[in-house]
Amino acid sequence: MVEEGLERHKPLIDREICMLAGLAFLLPFVLPYKSLPAEILIYALGAVSFNILLGYTGMLSFGQGALFGMGAYTTGLLLIHLGWHPLATLVCASLSGAITALVVGLFSIQRIGLYFVMLTLAFNQLVFFIAYQLKGLTGGDDGLLDVPRPNLSIFPGLQIPLQTNLQFFLFIWIVFIGCIIVIRRILCSPFGRVLVAIKENPERAVAVGYNIQYYKLTAFIISGLFTGLAGGLYALFMKMVPITAVELVTSTDFIIMSLLGGLGSLYGPIIGAVVVKIASEILSEIWARWLLVLGLTFIVFMLFMKEGIWGLITAALEKLKVNLSGKVEKS
Amino acid sequence: MILRTVGLTKHFGGLTAVNKVDLSVEEGTIHSIIGPNGAGKTTLFNMLTGEIPVSDGEIYFQGKKITGLKPHQIAKAGIGRSFQQNRLFNNLTVLENVRLAVHAHHKGHFSLLRHFRAFSRPVEKAREILEELGIAGIAAKKAGELPHGQQRILEVALALAADPVLLLLDEPTSGMSPDDSVKMIRLLKELGKRLTILIIEHNMNLVMSISSVITVLHQGEIIASGSPSEIENNEEVNRAYLGEHTRC
Repeated sequence: MVEEGLERHKPLIDREICMLAGLAFLLPFVLPYKSLPAEILIYALGAVSFNILLGYTGMLSFGQGALFGMGAYTTGLLLIHLGWHPLATLVCASLSGAITALVVGLFSIQRIGLYFVMLTLAFNQLVFFIAYQLKGLTGGDDGLLDVPRPNLSIFPGLQIPLQTNLQFFLFIWIVFIGCIIVIRRILCSPFGRVLVAIKENPERAVAVGYNIQYYKLTAFIISGLFTGLAGGLYALFMKMVPITAVELVTSTDFIIMSLLGGLGSLYGPIIGAVVVKIASEILSEIWARWLLVLGLTFIVFMLFMKEGIWGLITAALEKLKVNLSGKVEKS
Repeated sequence: MILRTVGLTKHFGGLTAVNKVDLSVEEGTIHSIIGPNGAGKTTLFNMLTGEIPVSDGEIYFQGKKITGLKPHQIAKAGIGRSFQQNRLFNNLTVLENVRLAVHAHHKGHFSLLRHFRAFSRPVEKAREILEELGIAGIAAKKAGELPHGQQRILEVALALAADPVLLLLDEPTSGMSPDDSVKMIRLLKELGKRLTILIIEHNMNLVMSISSVITVLHQGEIIASGSPSEIENNEEVNRAYLGEHTRC
């Protein structure tokens, strides 16, 4: 890879993906909290989708909560009122996330830097207030209650149950790994490399002939597609849609997970989601003010370990490799 | 004539940075634009590349009007540019820098679901450019970690990626050591054999040794245009620019 200066071709499924799938599969067997593993993967998907914008394209969006919430409401409402097949509602959740992202993106990418950030934040607040006001539709402050989680009927006669924690986890796990495979491919595609170029130097990206507005908008739509899907899964998971799903706090959750895990890779935000979710579960039992601990950890990471947890892991692995090869040479 | 401007003008508020400039660049020449600081050289350049809108006048490239086109459209039309300050993809390797620039003009640059290595033509082309400029040896280095002189050459490499017929170079030797400047001059002479090059430059050595035509800009207007020897002997130019230059 280094010798020739270009990343090698990666097949869709390789050792990396298998390792990720294996590790993610272990979650319900090592964690004492029964419903947490599914929630972790849902948030991990949201954080990875967010990182397409920040880590790869250099756009800090505070609007991800709006996309997540739109996905959640779409799945919730379609299940409650129309009784659609869960998979169909998830497709619609992705589409509503993508369409919301198209609108937010279309306006926000007209500006860069601080103004871009403020526009995404304003859109998130806008969607939140609409959801809050439409009490008849969304349940407003109380949340959208009684979302059913029916079994998946694949053929007439073949039903896949989603009722127990483990059954539901397996379903989420399959969707999650599928999404990661697709997202990883997108990030290694010519399109994905242009996103990195935009992050590195937007003026140069334009000067060499890329219409970067198209690329930025498409990045938004892709992020919306997967964030909306994560939102839809969340509605199935919670069997309701709390108003917090569409609030700014969801946006900041994804931001904190990504930054803590590390922006530089696909896997950082996943690790961030795992760590934040497990820590919050453990700490909230011990101390009501646990967010303080999370905040302090976040500050320490931002000041001293900007590469995040993934950065620490890769650095440690590098060291180990060097040590091992050194020992081999000696012996 | 490959590039022609008619009455090209740029106002910044009350200030006229470029005033009714009629510039003609002949195909196959190395054409330099010189002038004292504030003469409007970079403003003129930025209008040619679409970075800033023109206030008045037209730009024709290969007979077609390109006034008002966006920078990426002008790049696609066949005009490559380098910047005065290095603008590279610093955290990417030299080869990836050039591949990205090349791929913008090849099939599949918007492809989402195929790995970028599935497209081999841009990679080959990028390697050819590095070979031509003599920087193939540093293909795997990160652009941001190169010494300044090599970064300037990479700037030119990126400008070449689009297979341009016209190359616009904004002070290609700025900040370069004398040794590196000599290398760059040799390189530009070589490129001048197959391309039309328009250069903005302060470095008199470079201008006099490689230009076939020199245009002198002073206070936003063209005061002279001709061969290096004609410009050297032009009194008005000496007063406006060269005199000033020798004084300091």
